[in-house]
Amino acid sequence: MKLSRRQFIKRTAALTAASLVGIELPKSMKDAAQAADVDSWKPGVCRFCGVGCRVYLGLKGGKPVAIKGIPESATNKGYVCMKGMLFYKIIHHPERLKKPLYRERKDQPFREISWEEALDIAAKKFAEAVKNHGPNSVAYYGSGQALTEETYIFQKVMRAGLRTNNVEGNPRLCMASAVGGYLTSFGADEPIGSYADIEKAYCFFIIGSNMAECHPVLFRRVMNRKLSKPDEVKVINADPRVSPTSRIADLHLQFRPGTDLALLNAMAYVIVEEGLYDETFIKKYCKFKLGKPPKDVSFEEYKEFLKQYTPERAAEICGGNITPEKIRTAARWFAKSKATMSLWTMGINQRVRGVWANNLIHNLHLLTGQLCKPGADSFSLTGQPNACGGVREGGGLCHILPAHRPVKIDKLRHEVEDLWGVPRGRIPAKPGYHTIAMFRAVNEGKIKAMWINCTSPAQSLPNCDFYRKGLRRDDVFIVVTDIFPTKTTEVANLVLPTAFHFEKTGVYGCTERRSQLTVKVIDPPGEAKPEVWIVREWALRLAKELNDPVIKKCVEPFIGLEEGYELPKAIWEEYSQKLTKGRDNDLSAVTYEVLKQRPDGVQWPAPTKEHALKGGTYKKFVRGIDPLADKHAKGDDPYVFYGPAHKDHKLYIWLRPYKGAAEEPDAEYPFFLSTGRVIDHWHTSSMTGRIPELLRANPYAYVEINPKDARRLGINPNDMVEIETRRGKIVLPAKVYEGPIEGMVFIYWHDMHEERMANRVTKDAFDPGSKEPEFKICACRIRKVSGPKPLRPYVVGHKM
Amino acid sequence: MDRRLFLKFLATGILVGCAPGEFTSSPIKTNVLRPPGAIPEDFFASRCIRCGRCAESCPYRSIKILDIKHGFYAGTPVIYAEKIPCYLCMRCVKVCPTGTLQKVSQKEVRMGLARVNRRLCVTWNGTGICRSCYNACPFKEQAIKLDRLRPIVVPEACVGCGLCTYSCPVKPKAIVIEPIYAFKASK
Repeated sequence: MKLSRRQFIKRTAALTAASLVGIELPKSMKDAAQAADVDSWKPGVCRFCGVGCRVYLGLKGGKPVAIKGIPESATNKGYVCMKGMLFYKIIHHPERLKKPLYRERKDQPFREISWEEALDIAAKKFAEAVKNHGPNSVAYYGSGQALTEETYIFQKVMRAGLRTNNVEGNPRLCMASAVGGYLTSFGADEPIGSYADIEKAYCFFIIGSNMAECHPVLFRRVMNRKLSKPDEVKVINADPRVSPTSRIADLHLQFRPGTDLALLNAMAYVIVEEGLYDETFIKKYCKFKLGKPPKDVSFEEYKEFLKQYTPERAAEICGGNITPEKIRTAARWFAKSKATMSLWTMGINQRVRGVWANNLIHNLHLLTGQLCKPGADSFSLTGQPNACGGVREGGGLCHILPAHRPVKIDKLRHEVEDLWGVPRGRIPAKPGYHTIAMFRAVNEGKIKAMWINCTSPAQSLPNCDFYRKGLRRDDVFIVVTDIFPTKTTEVANLVLPTAFHFEKTGVYGCTERRSQLTVKVIDPPGEAKPEVWIVREWALRLAKELNDPVIKKCVEPFIGLEEGYELPKAIWEEYSQKLTKGRDNDLSAVTYEVLKQRPDGVQWPAPTKEHALKGGTYKKFVRGIDPLADKHAKGDDPYVFYGPAHKDHKLYIWLRPYKGAAEEPDAEYPFFLSTGRVIDHWHTSSMTGRIPELLRANPYAYVEINPKDARRLGINPNDMVEIETRRGKIVLPAKVYEGPIEGMVFIYWHDMHEERMANRVTKDAFDPGSKEPEFKICACRIRKVSGPKPLRPYVVGHKM
Repeated sequence: MDRRLFLKFLATGILVGCAPGEFTSSPIKTNVLRPPGAIPEDFFASRCIRCGRCAESCPYRSIKILDIKHGFYAGTPVIYAEKIPCYLCMRCVKVCPTGTLQKVSQKEVRMGLARVNRRLCVTWNGTGICRSCYNACPFKEQAIKLDRLRPIVVPEACVGCGLCTYSCPVKPKAIVIEPIYAFKASK
């Protein structure tokens, strides 16, 4: 719309006057006044969490000036949080990396070099490591924020080119247990249902998730559902901390950290004891399993197993406000509601028995048959925009190849080799190092060259001081690709500037199996380049250095393509049409053309173009909705659980005993320590910390302490408190607040300041199944060190 | 009215209305507040001996001393909530030698009352979801509550510290502190 200056002023004046006297303006006029300073709105996906909000980026004179939600969107219905609304401010941030930076030793200052030189150095160092120390001395550590195309091309070059499975990513720190849970219980990764189930659910079981802060847009939908039928819809929130999420709950189960397994088993006990289970569902679709290797057991044995977890016994274990009656109520609501939806995130996943905790949530759904019908689902929320699409599906973890193919299975590995046109046996059969093992290998000097892309492990790893020692070693060559200086660029040898969101083209796959395309609309600043270009050029040089034509073969189809659109398009086409065809995450009909036509993207499986153009599959495994369910169907059953991990097409109910945290409080370290996020900041705050409005809202991390504990220890609000664990100590201001349960403290982990960096004290114990570390629980002691002190917010080189 | 007359009127207006006002009327207004425990504004400037101890004791440098431009009010302490709000450490009330800042407890502080502008607030006007003021509030769930995610101020519990104003990411601020208690005595 064109507006003259005069018209604009008139309208603005009218708007101001109207807002003073409080008249509702006609909507069109209001929109015009608000939108007048933007030339064009370009659609895309939000860069932050895993909800997958669709947003418009507003451009004026080719510069980003605003972001707003797209009202027709299937995910966010037009809403965005402040992170989403303000991230246009980092696109042209003065601290953006604009030139490749290099230093030989890590105590030297960086110097600017050309791309030619930078890529030559990267190729030479990786080639040297492979030649002198074997393929397993190189590693790639990626991110759930990288585009699918980027993760895919990186892992292809690493696996088929450099012959190593040392391909990992930060989703290991957040999603791995959910993957393990879905695979062991349902035989197929990723949720069965969609966000659309929220509007059809009658009971929400939110455990280990503060979705009001971490997925605010989705939380709004849950809240609206609750408010639309306040008496019918029940919300159960289980969390050791009273969080903003608990405020809408009808029942808040506040248990001692680490006792969730007992609580979940006790709910199953009540369901079985009171006969609330769905016998036909169990008979038709389920099996009971125990131990490793899994052994079949009967329903009777399961009942016997559950007798250890009577509500009375569980209430004793759980402590807090848990009573047997509360457990019974929760179990009854769960089982009897018309449709129950469970939602969880890191509280469940980041546990030393994260997979088991996931299994036990699935158990409740399997026992009660609260699955596959509208509104009923066991739904794990994702924290990163492309952890599902890029890393879980694209082969970004050490044990999986693209499209949910385990590395270990020869047939599937050879399938991938054939599809790539590389000789069989090129991809090693043994999975590479998982995240913690990878950084331990760095510490031990086993890894000589490492590529860290789009993430900051120097801050986000648990017990990060320990791992930073290794990263600082001079015999470990580290390449970091990022848009800003971070804690990780401080330990790098070579820093390569990359294009940001909207400066490159690619697909993000959000929590609900939905792939959405963001097309490049602006040029990256300075010499920053898209990752896909960097990998292609690097691989070509590697091929020369190592004199290995197979490495060239990996990127051959992409040579010479324009990096802004044509190159990612070609990579996506290879991945979606070749690699996912015939797999459970079939994206073979989802081309860029389809994604452009379908503004909301497509939910896999989408094997045919007609199906993709309708938006794909809203619910997996249901005949009539999921085309693959129809394909695999043998009898007349309405559901077909064709997941690739369970050949018998059954769902497994697991007998998982209660196990506490790896480090429980004792006399020396009497408090539980847990970490989490706040709505304004995201992960290591390297992006949100550079948005002044968000930094103001939360300039630094603090520690939440229960008022009872605070009184006992003489801690007043804003006093500086020292948190000490067996791994280190940090000092933060206190917030005395009826949030965490007595005996527990809670810290926010976004702060980059060394004094307040949460992961310097967290524990790196990990789940033996999923290898996901237990960020959420460790033991600590606290003491007041001083009264209030003025603090400065910390962002690398950032001037406030 | 001709141009000359108009300008004359304007000049007189400025002279009579504004300039002396700056000199003799209280500087306290929206987001410009007195420190905790302040006595009513009518007596404040006459009781305060301008010793500056409150500003000196403030660990956050929230308290600023007014300069000579403020005439009668020069030397008295104020807090600019938008720049650095009050973190309620309550040190200033302890050091005030005259009782101009009375020894109140954290909860009894009444520097003002937060007011949400529902047209500017992104959560209220439906363009976004934000919870910065709620998170920043030292009396979370007491002074600011959420009604369907939208912030609501509870006047009985709000102390007017300005942390919400400071943290509000919207421009202009969608939540501001009105010093309604400062002028109560005279009205």
